[in-house]
Amino acid sequence: MSLRSSRPRAGRFSLPAWAAISFVAALFFDRFADVKVRLGSAALVLFFAGTLAFFSVSAPRFATASTVENLMSGYAFAAVLAMGQAWPILVRGIDLSIGAIVGLVGMIVFDMSLIFAVPGYLVLPLALLAGLLAGGLNGVLVVYLRLQPFIATLATLAAYRGLTYSISGRQLVPGLTTTPIRDPWITGIESYYDVGGWLGLSRLINMPWFPLSFFIMLAVFVVLHWLLTATRFGRDTYATGGNAEAARLAGIRVGRVTIAAYAISGLCAAIAALIMVARFTTATEALGAGMELTAIAAAVIGGVSLAGGVGAMFGPVIGAFLLGAILIGLTLQGVPQFVQQIITGAILLAAVGNDRLLVLRRQRRLEMAASRVET
Amino acid sequence: MVNSTNDRRDFLKAVALGSAAVAGAAAGVLGIPAARAQDRYKMAFIQFMPHTVPAAWSKGIEEVLKPQQVIDYELLDGQGKPEVQVSLMETLISQGVSVIFLQPVDSVALAPSIAKAKRAGISVITLNIDATEAHAAHVEMNHYFGAMDIAKAMGDAMGGKGKVAILNAPPGIIIRDQRTNGFVEGLKAHHPGIEIVADQAADWDRKKAQDVLATILAAHPDLGGAYGVNDSMALGAVDVAKEKGLLGKFVVFGNDGETAALESIEAGELTGTQYTDVFQQGRLAAAAATVLATGGVSATAFGQQSRLLMPYVIATRDNVASIQPSARW
Repeated sequence: MSLRSSRPRAGRFSLPAWAAISFVAALFFDRFADVKVRLGSAALVLFFAGTLAFFSVSAPRFATASTVENLMSGYAFAAVLAMGQAWPILVRGIDLSIGAIVGLVGMIVFDMSLIFAVPGYLVLPLALLAGLLAGGLNGVLVVYLRLQPFIATLATLAAYRGLTYSISGRQLVPGLTTTPIRDPWITGIESYYDVGGWLGLSRLINMPWFPLSFFIMLAVFVVLHWLLTATRFGRDTYATGGNAEAARLAGIRVGRVTIAAYAISGLCAAIAALIMVARFTTATEALGAGMELTAIAAAVIGGVSLAGGVGAMFGPVIGAFLLGAILIGLTLQGVPQFVQQIITGAILLAAVGNDRLLVLRRQRRLEMAASRVET
Repeated sequence: MVNSTNDRRDFLKAVALGSAAVAGAAAGVLGIPAARAQDRYKMAFIQFMPHTVPAAWSKGIEEVLKPQQVIDYELLDGQGKPEVQVSLMETLISQGVSVIFLQPVDSVALAPSIAKAKRAGISVITLNIDATEAHAAHVEMNHYFGAMDIAKAMGDAMGGKGKVAILNAPPGIIIRDQRTNGFVEGLKAHHPGIEIVADQAADWDRKKAQDVLATILAAHPDLGGAYGVNDSMALGAVDVAKEKGLLGKFVVFGNDGETAALESIEAGELTGTQYTDVFQQGRLAAAAATVLATGGVSATAFGQQSRLLMPYVIATRDNVASIQPSARW
């Protein structure tokens, strides 16, 4: 088994390979799509494949193994965050605090590892628990204090970030600012595997090495997808987001479902935090700042409706990697970053507009159905 | 075993050199320029976030790289986030640039990607904020000793006694600590009679500094002066002093030496600042980068990281006129 900590690779990763990967990805993810969203998902996958094809032709060195590797290692955590963010949105809420939870969990890992020398196999579960609780608290605020999700998570955004600063080991113990985390349980997350070599594909094309964070992302996808599509909890989540009052009358415990949705979001933020801390070998007080916006954008681009009740897990993943591919491609083309931000904004606007259109169409269909019942 | 490997390596080296010499001679005969081996070099600077200082570095860097005519250069923005800087580093590495100039958001967080660049043979030159991974070179303003001199000059201006406030950067950045600790140590050494009554973060920002200082002044009406860890925050303090009619009585020192600060000193508002020729800092980094790239020096060839501390002046009303217009940024 060949394993390495991280090694940049150059070399041509041919256009047909890109096309093949996009096609396989499309087939793979399409199987997971709900019938309702399948058409939208096909459009998304096509757009993603089109974006890759466009940059492969126009951006120098985009269609290389190392770019694919950078995309996977640089955006796997964004995909995890986006999948988590999808849950609060599915129950017609939003979670603005995930960036702050990333920071908080990162600092907890930092403190435990560097100040208290807690072994990594304990740090990992405790970090996940912290994220779960932080997310769960958001849910409790939304359900029991009946706060608007936007306001509740805006408040916890400030609170969690403040807490991060106050527990920062970088300030409590001055020397730690320049001390990297070396616990193999944590830094091991930033490992790369020569999958192409094992499968024998490397003889045919120059394959990227796959980062462990990418496989973690896939594992999170499989679990969350199963939870959303194959369990009662998943059906309850859709029902709660679709119409909370109807769901309550149907005997669904709407409050519990909502709290669980926010807890999942917090848990995903913790997973993302672990990936980032492993990548940086440290945590900063500002870690994850602004990341909630990327995650919301990726989820919405991925077809998760802001009106609640509609969406799947594959969309946010594609959405996150789409944003990543666009940023990397434009950087390789030498397009200034403010233009990149404008383009990202335009894509988000198009996605939100499309979502709005679908919502209106759904409403009209329901009204027509209702009028038919009346007559 | 080792010997035979070495022998073979020597033999291969000799073959390579020999054929290169023959090829070179042939090229000379045929009139092919020798620079053909690598026509163009690519370099990029990843800044912390948009600010006068990295903008001036970038200008200095360009001044040196442009006339070489074989170097493509671009300025990239790290947006103050380690994940953005790391992603940009990886993109540059896969692009195969020759040299990366880097103003790291964090000394540790960027270390793994600096190591990655080194393995790919790419030299990294850091500006102002050092990284924990050894790299080609580090060019830095003299934060610590400059801040000590600021403390001395500030204490002199205040007559050796009184209360001061520090308008600080948000915690977690090395230069914040250097500029704060140097100031604190400097006061201790030169003016033990001066008391630091407040040390608050104003996020490098002029507007924020106005609010923060106004609050501090409410708690300490007898405050005699303020030290802004950068010029933007010091100018915010000047704004407050102006508004409260304290101009002339209230001592304000900044750090960096940007044009706006120097002009404020000339206008008799800001008391002083630590001035560094930031253009020159960029030029020095670019000169080193040019030698490394065109000389074919690999990033792995360094036993030790070189380090350059920039000379500085404590600019006050007495000497500010001596700073040439062309050196103002």
